[in-house]
Amino acid sequence: MPLRNTAENYGSLARFLHWTIVILIIVQYFLAETADELPDGLEKLQWLTRHKSIGMLVLLLAVVRILWKLANKGRPTPAGTGMIKKAAAAGHGLLYLLVLLQPISGWAMSSAANYPVTLFGWFQFPALVAENHDLHESLEEVHEALFYALVAVAVVHIAAALYHHFFLKDDVLRRMMPFGKRSG
Amino acid sequence: MTHSFARLVASAVLVLGTAPAWSATAWTTDAATSKLTFVATQAGGEFEGRFKRFAPVIVFDPADLAHSRFAVDIDTTSAETGETDRDNILKGKDFFAVSQWPGARFETRGLRSISPGGFEATGRLTLRNVTRDVRLPFTFKPGADGRTAVLAGGTTVQRLDYGVGQGEWTDTQWVGNDVRIRFELHLEKAAP
Repeated sequence: MPLRNTAENYGSLARFLHWTIVILIIVQYFLAETADELPDGLEKLQWLTRHKSIGMLVLLLAVVRILWKLANKGRPTPAGTGMIKKAAAAGHGLLYLLVLLQPISGWAMSSAANYPVTLFGWFQFPALVAENHDLHESLEEVHEALFYALVAVAVVHIAAALYHHFFLKDDVLRRMMPFGKRSG
Repeated sequence: MTHSFARLVASAVLVLGTAPAWSATAWTTDAATSKLTFVATQAGGEFEGRFKRFAPVIVFDPADLAHSRFAVDIDTTSAETGETDRDNILKGKDFFAVSQWPGARFETRGLRSISPGGFEATGRLTLRNVTRDVRLPFTFKPGADGRTAVLAGGTTVQRLDYGVGQGEWTDTQWVGNDVRIRFELHLEKAAP
């Protein structure tokens, strides 16, 4: 499989980024839930720190994914025609936006509480906003709401992919599968 | 301000006020513009916290270091880091244990000049009922008006030397042992 995208197919890097981000976002949900259940203490700090580091990793990977998409001129366009094609493109745009906003809102939320944000302790990201208690409370709700929005759009995305695969019997799902080959 | 803290301040003022031998200048500190902050490391990242209430007693004359001295009482119940949960842990029994020891204190034992405008105080810091010797480099910048000055400096202490962080919090991988303390005091000459 070539590294770069082609007009018909996603290359290996785009597929790797897509699925790595999917897996990390699922892991993020469980890390947040685990931390949420714990009383204030060292263990909570540890789980939240992992959540924050992986969140920043998702942000970096999402930026790479978008830059790579833009750098690949002959990239696949959404399937369908007319309104369907436009809706698919808008859906993808919304997914990218949510995948970016989710970690950014978490980063800002940490900054508002004067919590440092690092990438696994290797280096520290600057504070995104100044310390502000009320802003922290609001961003906590925004961070949670964005997650539900992301899940909702992802469900539509998955449903559309499965619809293409099982009902339209085309290559739309296969072109993004980790080891998928085009049927013909 | 807690009563015991107020008592500490009152006794410090009383002691200094009744010492006739000191010829060095006494200064008052502007609480609104003066700062006492600390930078700690949490999960590999740094954050800054501060003490909202502290009472410095400064007698300082760069030309008369022998009769200069500082004493600062710090109200540990006024520690703030910008996040309530962390503040509660910090004031709780494993860190400052403010219900048992609501105050920390620094007092100098000696002062020496290390560069033009630069000095080093040797003194004792008492925190959580543990006293350790501390070296404190600082600068003294007199204002052009002859009445004011800025005293600024800082040092790094190891929190575990004072038992700040008990039990699981003795782990220094998640909460660093080194804590950088910084102060900036805006002084005005006390009325004689």
